[in-house]
Amino acid sequence: MCETCGCGLPEEAKHAHEDHGHDHPHREEARLYRSLLEANEAQARENREHLLEHRVLAVNLMSGPGSGKTSLIETLAGFTAGRWRLGVIEGDLATDRDAARVRALGLPVHQVTTGSTCHLDAAMVHGALHALPLEDLDLLVVENVGNLVCPGLYDLGCHLNGVLLSVTEGDDKVAKYPVAFRHAQFFCITKTDLLPHVDFDVERPKREARLLKGDLKVFACSSRVPGSLDGFAAYLEGERKALLG
Amino acid sequence: MHEWSLACALVKTAEEEAARRGASRVFEVSVSVGFLTGVVPELLERAYDMARQGTSLEGAPLRIEVAPVRARCGGCGRETVFEGYALACPACGRPGMEVLSGDDILLRGLDLEMGGSA
Repeated sequence: MCETCGCGLPEEAKHAHEDHGHDHPHREEARLYRSLLEANEAQARENREHLLEHRVLAVNLMSGPGSGKTSLIETLAGFTAGRWRLGVIEGDLATDRDAARVRALGLPVHQVTTGSTCHLDAAMVHGALHALPLEDLDLLVVENVGNLVCPGLYDLGCHLNGVLLSVTEGDDKVAKYPVAFRHAQFFCITKTDLLPHVDFDVERPKREARLLKGDLKVFACSSRVPGSLDGFAAYLEGERKALLG
Repeated sequence: MHEWSLACALVKTAEEEAARRGASRVFEVSVSVGFLTGVVPELLERAYDMARQGTSLEGAPLRIEVAPVRARCGGCGRETVFEGYALACPACGRPGMEVLSGDDILLRGLDLEMGGSA
């Protein structure tokens, strides 16, 4: 039996492992432990550096459909007007409806239509970065595809990742959809103007989110209540200063 | 269904590794799915069955192992293995433990036929 591979060939068979001179087939187990996310993560690192070189703070917004990501961007645009130059990447399975809303505000926006893919990835964001005037931006908001599960696994190369949960979705959703929260730096509980009409204990998602991510920043806001985004906008301003000076 | 994107990455990576080693056939592909990825093994298997059609992996079924979460407490330093998401330290109660493993999806290995026609 061959001492190298244990293949049981007779001794006279040609069998030189050292020069890869096999002339008989044999089985071999290749141990690899190679991450399937590594290509995405390498692209994400490149995106982050590229954005940093252009002095742009990039923010990835993740949530289920209809939690108020686009409304948050619209409100933020009003808040930052004249102070920061805001650009947007919109990710959707279909239509450019969100991009049209953002474009109507006069902001540079690039639509990524993902077709059957339920999340943005770093390569899609890389393509979008080349379509935006980065030298004219201070803040880039990436609105991920409306989905609270899949986007959590894909680093886009943003400096901050945030999750939105609206009060109409229920206060039990953090523990039910934990993946996105683990990779988030901030968490916005949205549509708080509707709290009198729904059974939603604001403390419950805060508590559960901090179990998943101890240092998560939590904000409660409503795009319909003037001033309720002040805390969130101040947070972004602080993060931008910390990153870019 | 991010399982589809992962299955496509899996087929590409496995074919790349098999070709690099000069394998003449792939018998089996094995992956390790970290619990924190939220990947559903049954969906990954179905997605893989679609993604491998017309590739050199047509005869290579997928073996999936779900890896539990191993995390270390930043307070008391204790390491714990979790079967779920609640990552507060069971010893001191501190939340937000450092995850050591269980948050990745790995191509663990390939069962290959070497030589023969090569």
